Amino acid sequence: MKTKNELILKGLPISEGITIGKPYLFLKDENPIPDFDISKEDVQSEIIRYREAIIRSENDLKKLQSSLKDDDSYEILDILGSHLEILQDPFITSEIEKRICSECRNSESIFQDSIIKFKAKFKNIDDSFFQERVRDIIDVSRRILHHLRNENSLSAKKIPVQSIVISSELVPSDIAEISVGQVSGFVTQRGGATSHSAIIARAKEIPYVAGIDISCFKEENIETIIVDGSKGKVIANPTKERLDYYQKLIQDKRGFYQNLKESSVRKTETKDGFSINLFGNIDSIDEVDLVLKHNAAGVGLFRSEYLFLANNSFPTEDVQFKIYKKLVEKLSSLPLVVRIFDVGGDKSIKNHDEILKEWKNELNPVLGCRAIRFLMKNPKYLKTQLRAILRASELSKIGILVPMVSDISELFFVKEAIDSVKAEILNEGVHFKENISLGCMIEVPSSAIMSDEIAKHADFLSIGTNDLIQYVLAADRTNPQVSDIYSLLHPSILRLIVGVVKSAQKYNKPLILCGEAAADPKLIPILIGLGIKEFSVSAQHVPIINYTIQNICLSNAVKLAKKALELTSFKSLKELVESQSNLD
Amino acid sequence: MRITKKLKIKNDLGLHIRPATYIAKILQSFKSSVEFTYKSETINARSIMSVLMLAAKKNAEIKVTVNGEDAKAVIDCLIHAFDSYFGERS
Repeated sequence: MKTKNELILKGLPISEGITIGKPYLFLKDENPIPDFDISKEDVQSEIIRYREAIIRSENDLKKLQSSLKDDDSYEILDILGSHLEILQDPFITSEIEKRICSECRNSESIFQDSIIKFKAKFKNIDDSFFQERVRDIIDVSRRILHHLRNENSLSAKKIPVQSIVISSELVPSDIAEISVGQVSGFVTQRGGATSHSAIIARAKEIPYVAGIDISCFKEENIETIIVDGSKGKVIANPTKERLDYYQKLIQDKRGFYQNLKESSVRKTETKDGFSINLFGNIDSIDEVDLVLKHNAAGVGLFRSEYLFLANNSFPTEDVQFKIYKKLVEKLSSLPLVVRIFDVGGDKSIKNHDEILKEWKNELNPVLGCRAIRFLMKNPKYLKTQLRAILRASELSKIGILVPMVSDISELFFVKEAIDSVKAEILNEGVHFKENISLGCMIEVPSSAIMSDEIAKHADFLSIGTNDLIQYVLAADRTNPQVSDIYSLLHPSILRLIVGVVKSAQKYNKPLILCGEAAADPKLIPILIGLGIKEFSVSAQHVPIINYTIQNICLSNAVKLAKKALELTSFKSLKELVESQSNLD
Repeated sequence: MRITKKLKIKNDLGLHIRPATYIAKILQSFKSSVEFTYKSETINARSIMSVLMLAAKKNAEIKVTVNGEDAKAVIDCLIHAFDSYFGERS
């Protein structure tokens, strides 16, 4: 027997993960589409045959939609919704029927011809995004052609378990319809990271590499393939050593991910049953899907300034209202904390010349006119935002969070603005949440020191560790020269946090900790020990922090925090935390 | 009634499949005929595929021609759709 050569191919990483399996060649029907004339008498029955193919396609899509309902796959449902709309497109319905009538030819040939003309239009458009979207049309048209030709789709084929599907190109429905256990990976010749196929593969967590010349899979006898969707590598007939290496890699990851997956369906509580609220941070509306997928308790921080940083101008009230409304709807009964615009500092707006000019003159923008300071000088932006939030607040659990508060008067300013907006929209007959809660960011040292007074007046507090650390230690968090100074593990920071926790407890106000520190598993035990019961971390970090919390004992965490508070230097604190994490 | 108006595309990704679907859905509740003209090509705005074929990107100006009894309402809805980025984040 001829020894098989290992073949390493490099392509485009589309969907992360590593998998090993047997190749399954899925080649599209390359037989020509039948093309024949029909008699005038047969036109009506041909049209009926065509309509039946559309109805069957519609039924496919609806079936697929309902099978996905519990899957949290909003993106996929959205795509399938578009496909259902396309089936009603006059281009697909009346136009084709008209041509069947006038040309007296079979529906497959006319349909194919229309699609070819459609595709030709896009050939000269130099825009990968548009090119990718056209694939959805091709997907729908292929579905119709399947039914006209009575073919099988990928899902209907008997694919052995643990197969890696190899194809010239996969349309979204190919990927949406297969079951995760059956297919363990995808390798295609064409396809890009922004395609709907890619989005679905990622949602299903199936590794996928595109941009691979698949001709070698047709000729050679290949038994095993490794797909590394993270690096974009495909290895055919791997050597024993390489196979061992990847198997070990998969096992290590599987153990870890399994733990994460199990932990995300369990309640967020410590080993000894102390429950913790774990929220997600979001910058855009799309990220809320991930927050929900990971079973977070809601959105603990929506950084609303990203609404205009992307756009370089302040969004109108209506645009904002729609976004908040949509977020509220997606979250249903879960809370949403909107931090009002934190502009200035490193987040400036290019299109607002007059503002930019003022900012350009700032020698030290991080200590300059940003966030609430800016909003107090430009109250029209604050008012617009508050109106939009309040209009979306009915039947919701929205909270408003004020950034960069350095004095209690700033909180009062927003409180008054909220009251006047309430009176205004009440007159307009708009319903809103009467007792909307107003929170205060604790990120300027003065607020941390004065947290007792702030906790008396605010409805909730939120510690922003990113800024708090940089202001307390006077170390720019973006400057690598001082990165050894910038750390949560400085005794001063821990003492400030304890002070804030005590203030919140005294007035029985909720306290959330958000910032990078909350996403560091090493720091979680000490923070819980200090009395933090609510965290907000980026959506992708929710599973790992959840897992971390579930493996902590509150009693140990409290002991650890007590020990930490006795230490007086950054070095000794760091050593304590490191020795602790080595024990796990 | 016949109304003609130029509308500008504001969302970052242009008239791709989602906005096209959005427009088709809006128009379902109206009777008027609606045509989009862009770069000397005129198409039926109710057809997602035809709208896609315009390949109109951000900042492109589309000439909208509405013809029918509810033309005024249609044009108002379309102005709103274009201005609100077709319900997309911009």
